[in-house]
Amino acid sequence: MAKLKREIIVGESRIYPYFFVSFATIYLILFTSIPLLRGFWYSFTDSLLLNPREGKLVGTKNYKELLDNPEFYNSLSKTIIYATLVVIGSVALGTIAAIAINEKLPGRALFRSLLTLPWAIPGVSVVLVFIWIYNYDSGVANQFSSGLGFGQKGWLIDPSLGMFSVTLASIWKVFPFIMLVVLAALQSVPEELREAARVDGADRLNIFRTVVLPHLIPTLRIVSLLMTIWSIRRFEIIYLLTGGGPSGATNNIVINVYKLAFENSELGKAAALGILGLLLSITVTLIYFFIDKRQEKN
Amino acid sequence: MKKRFFSKSFRWVFVLLLSLFAVFPVYWMFNTSLTPVEGLFGGQNLIPPLGNILDIFNVFSTDVPIWRWLKNSAIVAFGTTFSSLAMAILAGYGLSRYRFYGKGVLGFALFATQMLPEALLIVPMYALFMSLGLLDGFLGLILANTAFVMPVAVWIVKSAMDSVPFEIEEAARIDGTPRLGVLTQIMIPLAAPSIAAASVILFFDGWNDFLFASTFITTPEKWLASVGLASFIGEFVTPLATVFSAAIVFTIPAIVFFLLMQKQIVSGLTSGSVKG
Repeated sequence: MAKLKREIIVGESRIYPYFFVSFATIYLILFTSIPLLRGFWYSFTDSLLLNPREGKLVGTKNYKELLDNPEFYNSLSKTIIYATLVVIGSVALGTIAAIAINEKLPGRALFRSLLTLPWAIPGVSVVLVFIWIYNYDSGVANQFSSGLGFGQKGWLIDPSLGMFSVTLASIWKVFPFIMLVVLAALQSVPEELREAARVDGADRLNIFRTVVLPHLIPTLRIVSLLMTIWSIRRFEIIYLLTGGGPSGATNNIVINVYKLAFENSELGKAAALGILGLLLSITVTLIYFFIDKRQEKN
Repeated sequence: MKKRFFSKSFRWVFVLLLSLFAVFPVYWMFNTSLTPVEGLFGGQNLIPPLGNILDIFNVFSTDVPIWRWLKNSAIVAFGTTFSSLAMAILAGYGLSRYRFYGKGVLGFALFATQMLPEALLIVPMYALFMSLGLLDGFLGLILANTAFVMPVAVWIVKSAMDSVPFEIEEAARIDGTPRLGVLTQIMIPLAAPSIAAASVILFFDGWNDFLFASTFITTPEKWLASVGLASFIGEFVTPLATVFSAAIVFTIPAIVFFLLMQKQIVSGLTSGSVKG
C-alpha cells in the first residue's frame, strides 16, 4: 500500500493533499483550536459573560480559588465516580450482551435490534422518560420498589441515590454501543483458532479464555478509553436529570463549568475549571496509552 | 448435550431479560403517551388502555408547537450533515490516499477533539459567536455542532476509502479522469455505505443537540425540539400524554434510521474509531 501511495505522488503536484485536507483543518483551527486557546486565555482573566473581551489578566487567581474550594474536589470526585461506574457498567453489560447474542439463538436478529434501541434514543427523550420512571409519587420505579417491599425511594431527590439513578440511565443509553463494537470484534475472531482449540480438547470456557478474550482485549481497551472520555464530558443527561443535585450528588466538572459561566456569569473561572477538566481527560488518555505500550512490550 | 441445552436456554432467558431492560423505557414512553391523566397517578398500568396508537400524532394539533420545533431541528441537522460531510469527504480522501507533512498531527488532532468537553468550548464559542452576531440563529448551531462531529465523519470516510483498492483509482487516473472526478465518480460511490452511515450520525448529532441550542438560542420561536421538550421538565401544565407524544415524534426518526442503518453505522464506527 505504501509503495502504491508513492506512485500517486510521483510526478504530481504536492499541493493536492493539502487542498483536500485544508477545509477540515481550517475549520478545526477556527472553531476548535482558537476557542480552546481563548478558553485558556480566559482562564487567566476575570472575564464576565456579558463583556468577555473586557476581562483583565488576573494570573492564576481563578485556579487558586478553585483549588482552595472544597467544591472543586467534590466535583472532581463526582466526575471520577460517574465515569468509573458508567465505564465498568456499560463495558461489562455490553460485553456480556455481545457474547450472549454472538452465537445462534432463536430470535437473535430481533434481540439484537431491541438491545440496540437505547443507543438510538435522543438524550432529551431519555431524560424525559427516566424522570417519569423515577418520579417519587407515581413513577414505575417506585411501583416496583414498593411491590417488592422496599418502599418508595427518592431516586432523584435522595442524595445517596442520585448518582446511582443518573448512572443507571447513562449505562442504559450507552451499553449498546459497547455491545455492537464488541460484537464486531467477536465476529472477526478467526474460526480456525476456535476449531484448533476445540480439537485440542478445550471446553467453551477455555476457548473463551485462551482464544476469544485475547482477541477482544485491544477492542475493550479502546472502547473503555472512549467511554471514559465521553463520560467525563457528558453533560445533557446529568444536567437535565438532576441539574447536579440532589445536594450536589451529581455535580460534576462539566456541570459546574456550565453553571459558573451561564448562571454565575464568571467566564474566567468557568474556563479555568474547564481546563482542569480537560487535564483530567488528557491524564486518563495518557494512562491508557502508557498501559497499552507496557502490554505491547510484555 | 444436556448441559449444552441448559446453557442455551439459560442464555436465551438472559438475553430476553436484557432486552426487556433495553426496551422498557422506550415502551414506557409509548405507554405514558397513551394513558389518560386519570391513569397516571397512583399506579400506571403496565399495559395502556389499548386505544388508537395513532393518537400519538394528535400532538400536532395541540398548543405545543412541535411542528415548528421539529422543523428547526431539521434545519440544524441538515446543515450539520452537509457542512460536515463536504469537509469530511475531502479530508478523508486526502488522509486515505496521500502522505504529506503534518498528516500525523492532523490525525492526532481529530482524535483529540473527542476529549474536549463541549461545556468548556461553549464558553469561548459563546464569546466568539456573540462578536460575530451568530447567537440566536441556526447558523451558529450548525457551526458549533459541525466542530464536534465532523472529525468523527472524517475517520469514518477515511477508513472506508482505505479499503477501496488502489488499482481502481489508478486505472481511472490513467484513463484521464481528473482528480476530483476520481473522487466524485469512483471513491464516493464505492464508499457510499459508510458515507450514508456517517450522514446518519451527523444528522442526529444536529437533531439531538441540546447544549448549544439551549445556550445560544434565546427566541422561543427558534427553539429546537430538544430544547422545547426539555422545557417540559419541572413544568406541570402540559399533560404528560402530550409531552410523551411529542417526545415520541421527536424520537421515531432516530430509531428508524439507526435500526435501518445499524450494520453500516457499526462498521463505520468500528473501523473509524476503534482501529484508530
